[in-house]
Amino acid sequence: MQLLSGDARRAVFAPLDDGALRSEAVVRRVGSAIALGLMADGEQLPTETDLATMLNVSTVTLREALAELRKLGLVETRRGRGGGSFVRSRDDVLAELADTRLAELGTTDLRELGDVHGAVAAAAARLAASRASRTEIARLRDIVDRLARAGSVTDQRRAEGRYFIELAACAQSVRLTMQEMDLHLELGQLPWPPEHVPELLDVIVAGHRAVVDAIEERDPARARALTEEHIETRTLWSIELRLQRVGEPPARQEVS
Amino acid sequence: MSAGSGPASARSAASRADEVARVGAAVSEVVERLFGTVTAVRSAALRSSAWDDPRSGRPVLDDSVRDLLREPGQLAVGLGLVVAPQPERGLPLRLEWWQVDPDGGRLRTLEPDLKPQSLGYYDYTATEWFDVPRRTGRRHVVGPYVDVHGTGRYLLTLTEPVVVDGDFVGVAGADVSVRRFETHLLEELGRLPAPFLLVNGEDRVVLSTAPRWLVGSLLPPEAGPAGSGAAVPGVPWRLHLVDDVSLLRA
Repeated sequence: MQLLSGDARRAVFAPLDDGALRSEAVVRRVGSAIALGLMADGEQLPTETDLATMLNVSTVTLREALAELRKLGLVETRRGRGGGSFVRSRDDVLAELADTRLAELGTTDLRELGDVHGAVAAAAARLAASRASRTEIARLRDIVDRLARAGSVTDQRRAEGRYFIELAACAQSVRLTMQEMDLHLELGQLPWPPEHVPELLDVIVAGHRAVVDAIEERDPARARALTEEHIETRTLWSIELRLQRVGEPPARQEVS
Repeated sequence: MSAGSGPASARSAASRADEVARVGAAVSEVVERLFGTVTAVRSAALRSSAWDDPRSGRPVLDDSVRDLLREPGQLAVGLGLVVAPQPERGLPLRLEWWQVDPDGGRLRTLEPDLKPQSLGYYDYTATEWFDVPRRTGRRHVVGPYVDVHGTGRYLLTLTEPVVVDGDFVGVAGADVSVRRFETHLLEELGRLPAPFLLVNGEDRVVLSTAPRWLVGSLLPPEAGPAGSGAAVPGVPWRLHLVDDVSLLRA
């Protein structure tokens, strides 16, 4: 498999630097790539050796991760000619994986992630207000409309990720765009709030529309402030979802 | 801008016109050189026998096209053919595109994400570089822009329609990185008597030698240089000479 620096998929196979529990980091990375649609149902994974090299983990670690992904039902391995490991997209498993991930993180981790995302996205929104062309603004609006219409959780997540990535591209910044892609691979590991409270999708859509309006009105300060405010709200949602888990039994169950 | 106070305002209108002409000619030359590459790709596509049976999935371009990227003085960092999908004939989205690896100068094929469901889905039929040549039948330049779902670089993309037996079958194109375009032109032009701005059709700065106008920014209508600037032959860009004072002072 050949991957390019700019491809959104680049981030999926970028070396891991999570340190401890590396096989779990591989599982999380692959899970979020499936949730965001970067890896499609039925898609073949690179060979074990290639994948281990790309992710900078030992083949032992990689095998552990693949075994776990198989157990979860997110990867299927076929033997013989035309065999290999293939992706299986399963929303129920992805939701469980997200719950498990949330339970592992502290509220400060969620705040940190929100702080960085806020910094990147708000900067992008401010720059987009002075740099986005009319065509680019129309594209942003179209993505928000698609988010509003999206029927499934996965479609909503994808439209959401695309909104932030296009926002950074509107800022004419390759670096902000890459940062957004990397951040979405992390954010994609967390629960999607509208899955718990469906009305929150309207809040998200309204938040994005207000930002696009500010960009269209060429009001950088407002685009920035609205984006910061929106992402702060989102961070608080994640933290509340995390705190709701306190005292609950661990979410992870065996998936047969 | 400091209209009327800079040294440039003292210069005669005639010498300013000479300067505009010189910069404009240098820009045109670079653009035509890049379109020369695009035309070479298009000719290779037209020579191909793959159109006889497009469903076979055989590549249209042969490997010699890739070698254009290796030619001395080549400014393009990527080139190739982007095929018009024809769902009714079972022909999917397809690219035959090579690019120079930014790190090592190795050539790679571009394999973007063509899955409609994906976060990274590259729906190129909606892009300006594909859509404009398809609609107008004319060559087109787009950029600077962040090519999010394709190469991930900051680019100018030049494209020409490819028409086989009266049917639009795709576009031939070349990418030049904004950095390479800038470095090359600044080198060509040498020392500049007056700062200038090159802006594209949507008033986005393509090249600037005045630090207060950043490449990629849109020219604000009220703060922009007076007058509409000079047209650059062969490309929908305009050139503005500006008076600018140094920002490097306390």
